[in-house]
Amino acid sequence: MTAAGAAPIALSCGEPSGIGPEIAAKARTELGASLPFFLIGDPRHLPAGTAVSEISDPAQALHVPGDRLPVLPHRFPDAAAPGRPSPANAAEVIAVIARAVALVQDGAAGALCTAPIHKKALQDGAGFAFPGHTEYLAHLAGDVPVVMMLASDMLRVVPATIHIPLADVPAALTAEGLRETLLITIQGLQRDFSIAAPRIAVCGLNPHAGEGGAMGHEDDTLIAPVVAALRAEGHAVTGPHSADTMFHAAARARYDAAVAMYHDQALIPIKTLDFDGGVNVTLGLPFIRTSPDHGTAFDIAGRGIANPASLIAALRLAGRMQRARAETGAEVRAHA
Amino acid sequence: MIPSLPFDDRKTLVLIQGDPAGIGPELLIKLLLQEGVREGAKLIVVGDPAIFARGETQVGETIEGVRHAPLDAAVEIAEGEILHLDMPVDGIAEVPVAQVSGPGGASSISGLHRALELTRDGIADGIVFMPFNKESMHLGGNEFTDELGYARDFFQLKGRPSEFNVADGMWNGRVTSHVAMKDVPDLLTIPRVEESIHLADRTLKAAGYDRPRIVVAAYNPHAGDGGLMGDEEIRVIGPAVEKAKLKQVNCVGPYPADTLWLKVRDGEYDAVVTMYHDQGQIAIKLLGFDRGVSVLAGLPVPVTTPAHGTAFDIAGENAANVVPALNAFTMCLNMASHRKASAGVSSDRETV
Repeated sequence: MTAAGAAPIALSCGEPSGIGPEIAAKARTELGASLPFFLIGDPRHLPAGTAVSEISDPAQALHVPGDRLPVLPHRFPDAAAPGRPSPANAAEVIAVIARAVALVQDGAAGALCTAPIHKKALQDGAGFAFPGHTEYLAHLAGDVPVVMMLASDMLRVVPATIHIPLADVPAALTAEGLRETLLITIQGLQRDFSIAAPRIAVCGLNPHAGEGGAMGHEDDTLIAPVVAALRAEGHAVTGPHSADTMFHAAARARYDAAVAMYHDQALIPIKTLDFDGGVNVTLGLPFIRTSPDHGTAFDIAGRGIANPASLIAALRLAGRMQRARAETGAEVRAHA
Repeated sequence: MIPSLPFDDRKTLVLIQGDPAGIGPELLIKLLLQEGVREGAKLIVVGDPAIFARGETQVGETIEGVRHAPLDAAVEIAEGEILHLDMPVDGIAEVPVAQVSGPGGASSISGLHRALELTRDGIADGIVFMPFNKESMHLGGNEFTDELGYARDFFQLKGRPSEFNVADGMWNGRVTSHVAMKDVPDLLTIPRVEESIHLADRTLKAAGYDRPRIVVAAYNPHAGDGGLMGDEEIRVIGPAVEKAKLKQVNCVGPYPADTLWLKVRDGEYDAVVTMYHDQGQIAIKLLGFDRGVSVLAGLPVPVTTPAHGTAFDIAGENAANVVPALNAFTMCLNMASHRKASAGVSSDRETV
């Protein structure tokens, strides 16, 4: 594969009892051949009537007509019962992710987009030991440090801590961890978003960023020195800012990404600004990875009513990142 | 639009000019120039005449029909006039723009004090104040943390008053406010959360909502995901919501905080009770940054103020947006008149 920038996007099927297969088919219908991607999964799991072209090599996806979904078949033991994950299928859900990573690692696929998995189904069915998708991908990539970025047309935001109790956040924030998060964010924006000198705004942890220590000391003692050090190294990082005044339109125009201190500090603004358009991006991996910002939605699986907007946004963003990475000439693994 | 009533039927509102170094003097003058303000209510201004004049100079307009009287004068307001109760404050005329000062803070406190007296004595029906500056108030000898603490003491209230932020008909009250994030978990108790839910219920009822629909935010990401990411929802917030429901409050929750705001914006709920400062402030400032009003809830009279601060960065430049102050005025007058608080309030939405 020489032109890795043009390789199709690999879409891992995720939990087949969820809405993944349905929204994959709907995404193809909407995108057609304009954005080449292929699904890795069991064609039996797709909604009845889905026009499928089975492929044996990702490159073939580029030649599948736009009204058919290219599928790299991966056989599962069981059919997909909507909302009721089969324990026997769990190992294959995981295997699909690993297979997709292998394809994107060797350049056969240009980027990875992942449909949602159901963590508990994988734990129960296959002893999946990772806290989530992202951690598993980081492991497959060689246990590299990664950050999660949520991106929409209106906002990019990175939570410095994610799925932990909010009470544990102040103790979980460290200068080293925050510095790493900021550097991965900066490098990711440079490499995959074509932003040469990314402007990063850092949220304070406490109300009004602590107001000089009157409402918590972490802003002054932990966050400010990390920001100051990165500025001294030439990065356009500012903060800590009072988080409540960072997300209205005029404020958002002043930065390329915000770094939040905890999950809801990042998720409240992005969900409130653009409920369906938010995409989950993993920065720090050697390859491009995006995913829709929702779960398996067992409650509506199999009913044909799932909204593909977030998956479509995730596929589109993966395509844009792929082009940006090719343009910036950053590392793209050539086919060995 | 503010309804214009026959003069004798008009409510009386007290306006306080706010910190003299900020945009308060300018906003007061701009507010008095807004259509319907002088026709909607009988108006009392409490402040130093020098600061009223400062506002007129900043805006480049003169307010007609202002009658000056001593601070403790008997309040009688004739049609067409604004009663300015003169409250001389030493050194206030010399306070520069964009600078915290003792005289500025002292005038805020004394002005608030006189306004509270006027409402307590049944002479006025509500208070609208232009932004105060906390640091000035501290320099000016205020031993209370803020205006809420002062008002609580003035009325000798047992309950905990609290600031509500309102934008586009969305109300937000919070269980904890200006405290460090690490101290929040210990402050989240069943009685405290329940009290905040009841305060939201009472406040919105006083603001004209028959049966306010209240949603209570969770504390942890994904509302704790069944206890996997914190147990405050199971241990504290959930039980508080159930207790409030048993007392006939129309409330639900705890719901994940990241996905509830669009439902609020779309009118599914009237009020959100949040657990900590940024949880509500991020969303409400994002959704209504240039329109927001703060309501001091839990007091016996309506007290409102624009949600923004003294804005020293643009003070004296005649650049301040009067909409939040006008919204604060309209809401205060509505509440004093037992109308729905959001009636006629400027909004980004088609309906409020």
